[in-house]
Amino acid sequence: MADGTPTGTPTLDQFLAELQRIICEQNGAQLQDYLVIEPPYRQLYTAMIAEIRQRYPKGKEDELEGKCSAALPEAREGADGSPWTAFIKFITQYFAFIRDVNVENLLETYNQLSELVQKCNSALGHPSLGIVILPTVIAYSRVLARLAIGLDKRPELIAHLTKQSSDDSGVRETLPERAANILRQAFVTCLNDRTGTASGVRDGKPDGKKVGIYTIANLCLKILFQCRKTRNAEQIFSNIYNQSPPLSIYPRPERITYLYYLGRFLFSNNHFYRAQHALQAAYDQCPPHRLKQRRLILIYLVASNIILGRFPSAALYSQPEALGFAERFAPLCRSIARGDLATFRRLTDPKNEHASWFLHYRIFLQLKNRCEVLVWRSLIRKTFVLAGQQGDAQARKAPTLDLGYVLQLAQMLEQKALSPLSQLDGGPGRRHTNWIFMDREPPASARYVDPDFAGTEEGRPEVLLPDMLEVESIVASLVDQGLLNGFISHRQLRFAIQGAKRKGALPAGFPNVWEVVKGRCDEEVPGWKKDPPRGAVGATAGRIAAGGFGPGMVVNLSGARPVGAVP
Amino acid sequence: MSGAGNTAPISGPDTTKAVVSDTKDTSSSLKDQQKPAATLEEDDEFEDFPAEDWQQEDTEIPGGNTHLWEESWDDDDTNGDFSAQLR
Repeated sequence: MADGTPTGTPTLDQFLAELQRIICEQNGAQLQDYLVIEPPYRQLYTAMIAEIRQRYPKGKEDELEGKCSAALPEAREGADGSPWTAFIKFITQYFAFIRDVNVENLLETYNQLSELVQKCNSALGHPSLGIVILPTVIAYSRVLARLAIGLDKRPELIAHLTKQSSDDSGVRETLPERAANILRQAFVTCLNDRTGTASGVRDGKPDGKKVGIYTIANLCLKILFQCRKTRNAEQIFSNIYNQSPPLSIYPRPERITYLYYLGRFLFSNNHFYRAQHALQAAYDQCPPHRLKQRRLILIYLVASNIILGRFPSAALYSQPEALGFAERFAPLCRSIARGDLATFRRLTDPKNEHASWFLHYRIFLQLKNRCEVLVWRSLIRKTFVLAGQQGDAQARKAPTLDLGYVLQLAQMLEQKALSPLSQLDGGPGRRHTNWIFMDREPPASARYVDPDFAGTEEGRPEVLLPDMLEVESIVASLVDQGLLNGFISHRQLRFAIQGAKRKGALPAGFPNVWEVVKGRCDEEVPGWKKDPPRGAVGATAGRIAAGGFGPGMVVNLSGARPVGAVP
Repeated sequence: MSGAGNTAPISGPDTTKAVVSDTKDTSSSLKDQQKPAATLEEDDEFEDFPAEDWQQEDTEIPGGNTHLWEESWDDDDTNGDFSAQLR
């Protein structure tokens, strides 16, 4: 064949003939196997590249496309009356890619790969043949994601190449965002696939291109999270929530990975209860020996739960993936339970030895800000235990607490927190030998002067400690959040507990935090497409049998019971 | 595309901006200070699961019943700083 053809591209011709066969057979896995992009290339590919370089050098892409079109009648004609020209354009780009790629120049490689993946995505759009290229889209997306993350983390690799273009101020999209957006096109194509069943489910498995939804979404999320562009993830979650088949019919690795990112996204948006749900499900499904993944999930799961008033148990701390958790989280939980504001302030100070760890995982501010609420609840509870009036059920007198005591303790603890000693305080047994002789006065830096009064007679620096107004507002806020149950008498400056007659003062006035939180949240987690409730399955069973259910409805019959059966 | 994004982290006008820069700084100083101990902490990439993990898809994962969380943790200890202060 080689010597007879005027083109002199025997390997390329053979390769195209193979592609023609693969398209006929609609063998997506083999197509992906053939369309190698990463060097080093096997001998067949190097021979083909040499032929392309010689016969179709840069600038001869039109001719190359003509050759591909001629060699791939199956794609040229397409199927169902719609030609698959996007595939021909893609395959032309593929040949150009392997002809030109030079991994010495990573930026150029990244740009070429971006272009190739975009062409690949276009080919994916064909209604019936697109699915053949799905494995290739996924494989290429994986490479593009890896490259984008790598370049984002080590910008020095391409810094010397990007200088000339840096005045081009019109483009605001960063390199990883661009990659994520390219992947998103494929994700949307998979999500919108209408070729299979209306529900996107066939025999309990994702149908058609919908099989690729979570794999591509997870790659996209990986880029966005690694490159700290998590805000852009919202669209992926809402698209999935609106249009995807249920997560449960996808393979377990995809489910775990997706729930991990969803949980982190919810955490970063202060939806801790929902985050906890997603992360707990991810953790429960993650194999025990995958310590790295389990640890990452657990970091956010523990942080969410502490904020929600559920503390890690001794059993959790002893898990192999929880190495080092006890020394970081347990003191924090202890200070919350004790209402020890001073220790809490020390532990959540940016100068604390573990702060960098919390910051690294981006849970520092959430723990600092959200857990303070719980510390105040415990502090008020503790004050009530020590100095509250128990009331008299017979005389219909409610238990009360003089807020002056709360103020007294709060001031003592805040003062302690401000003193430099408390920041050095490692606790009993780890203190400096001269601890008791040290100055407990707050440092000058802890004192505040209103700028308007600086330098004047009135402008003496003062330490800002809580006053009664602040204590009252904190109590009011806790009452509003349901964490304290009662009311404030502003005239008497007392907090009165309601419902003590039935439950006793402490349980009535200071309800269990986790129960309160759970009571006000529902179990729905936006972004997590769950199976329809069982009742819905029973109710729609008749319509399913008749084959008439509407678009977007997902019915998984694996858990169905006869109508009226006790669950 | 602009090359600026590759040489300096660009943060959108979002609320996490402060965290972004903080984290950058501390993670790099972390790297300097505790290189040997930090191997587990440095990389926060959620790695893909290898295919061999899923030979028996949906087999029960052991340890599902471990008691992980304490929901009642109120502290009723009346000794210590607090009571001294209130006396």
